[in-house]
Amino acid sequence: MTDSETTMHTSEAGNIVGEVLLKAEQLERKFGGLTAVADFSFELRDREILGLIGPNGAGKSTTFNLISGFMPPTSGRLFYLGENITGKNATYISRKGLVRTFQHESLLSEMSVADNIIIATTHRLKSTAARQEKMREMAKLTGLENYLEVTAGSLPHGLQRMLSIAIALAAEPKVLCLDEPLTGLQGAEVAAALDLFKMIRSELGITILLVEHNMRAVMRICDRILVLNHGRLLATGTPEEVSRNELVVEAYLGHKK
Amino acid sequence: MLKDNLGLTLCILIAIASIGFALFSGDPYYVQVVIWVFTNAVLAVTLRFVLLIGELNIATAAFFGIGAYTTAVTSTILDWTFFASLLAAPVIAGIISALFGWVTLRTKGPYFLLISFAFTEIVRLLYTKTEILGGNSGMIGMFPPMALNDYFPAIAVTILAAILFALYAAERSNLGRVFKAIQNNEDIPRSVGLNVIGLKILCFVIASATVGLAGGVHAYTNSVIAPADFTFFVAVLALAYVKIGGEGHIAGPIIGATILTLAGQFLHSFGPYENIFYGAIIIGVLLLMPGGIIGLGERFKIRSIMGRNPR
Repeated sequence: MTDSETTMHTSEAGNIVGEVLLKAEQLERKFGGLTAVADFSFELRDREILGLIGPNGAGKSTTFNLISGFMPPTSGRLFYLGENITGKNATYISRKGLVRTFQHESLLSEMSVADNIIIATTHRLKSTAARQEKMREMAKLTGLENYLEVTAGSLPHGLQRMLSIAIALAAEPKVLCLDEPLTGLQGAEVAAALDLFKMIRSELGITILLVEHNMRAVMRICDRILVLNHGRLLATGTPEEVSRNELVVEAYLGHKK
Repeated sequence: MLKDNLGLTLCILIAIASIGFALFSGDPYYVQVVIWVFTNAVLAVTLRFVLLIGELNIATAAFFGIGAYTTAVTSTILDWTFFASLLAAPVIAGIISALFGWVTLRTKGPYFLLISFAFTEIVRLLYTKTEILGGNSGMIGMFPPMALNDYFPAIAVTILAAILFALYAAERSNLGRVFKAIQNNEDIPRSVGLNVIGLKILCFVIASATVGLAGGVHAYTNSVIAPADFTFFVAVLALAYVKIGGEGHIAGPIIGATILTLAGQFLHSFGPYENIFYGAIIIGVLLLMPGGIIGLGERFKIRSIMGRNPR
């Protein structure tokens, strides 16, 4: 990424961010008469941690499905690394380096931890030795190295969350989209996960799009935050700007303080 | 690792013994029974192979029939040589299954099951309505060449055993792991860049082509084939072999097919009541040992012979 230094600038949060990796233009998704996402435009820049927040039903998971190709948008366009990826399928988009996790069941519950991670290396690495090496590396990174033979479904919840991240990382993403990775984690586990996210960004150079309900964590780790409400972009800005925004407070609490 | 090899060695020895028996026993009836056991084992193992991606594939019966009819047509009508007509069976079954799978494997569960059921019955009805295929009475006259006649049973058992070992190897490879991942939660392999639909079709084509080859062998074994041999009931019986033997390991369907095929030889004397016994055996096994015979073995820790499940 050193060649893109000229395009880098310093964000208000003080972190270095670079070129636009993912760009959404007026995304819209309807389910019958229900509009889940409408007129949603945003940019994701290289090496930033971008938060996507909003009340339940705001359209966060739908947005994830749209950008990861699990669902086509009703209208609007998506660009990834300058390429129009609107309507491309999930396999294609993942191979390009945009990898997501899932809010629920983000792992292969009946298979071992090792197999879970190896599956994710299958597309990029062709030799068994390379896959094993990558698997061990990712397991170590996420603190799973002592659980390789354990069936994923019987892992404690916190480690299941770590495994879902290990799976996504083993696919060698450039952009990692995490769907509520902190749900159900204890205080110390949250801190460890946030450290991991920072490390993923700084050491592996991976850009993160984060959907999360844990506000304190989002405020701590994100460079910028997008706030969705009723499928529309309500506010955007640094954590401080967003937390001072009256519209956001109203959307979350239902009334002005 | 060593334990896996022990089980595998045992299987290879059984296969060699069976081939030897087919060569030297001299009793055509017992040789026939051995071929039936292997044929049914292939039916059960190919049914289970598609179960790896989580789909119950009734069309196993259809592709067994397509293989048999392909061999029958190429050998009796087109006068192809023995091996060419056998080879045509997996090729045609593979091509048709690729087209069928490409369209239908976008559905799952009960939908795919019903489509594969309908396909099986439609293909069977097509045989009965097609004059060149002999209609309801089917086709006759598939004989191995005179020079090979004495060796045919050994050739048949060798081919069928090779299919079993090939499917075992496929399951043990990374491909088998990917198939199981698709069954477990197909969103995960999709999210890490695997072409899930393509892999499902591949699994389906491997199973269909190999069962097609078994169908070709069946055509030569029986010398007579008829539409009634390829109803959905063939797949139901194969499912019974899988359930009785156990789904957890490829040895399960093979054990199930062996026991039920041998039992069937005695049950024939009950005539039309034969199926009652199959029903009773299936219900009994499902009630008393839900994991099948393999599951029972694992419960009593005789894993020393079976080895661990492949990763």
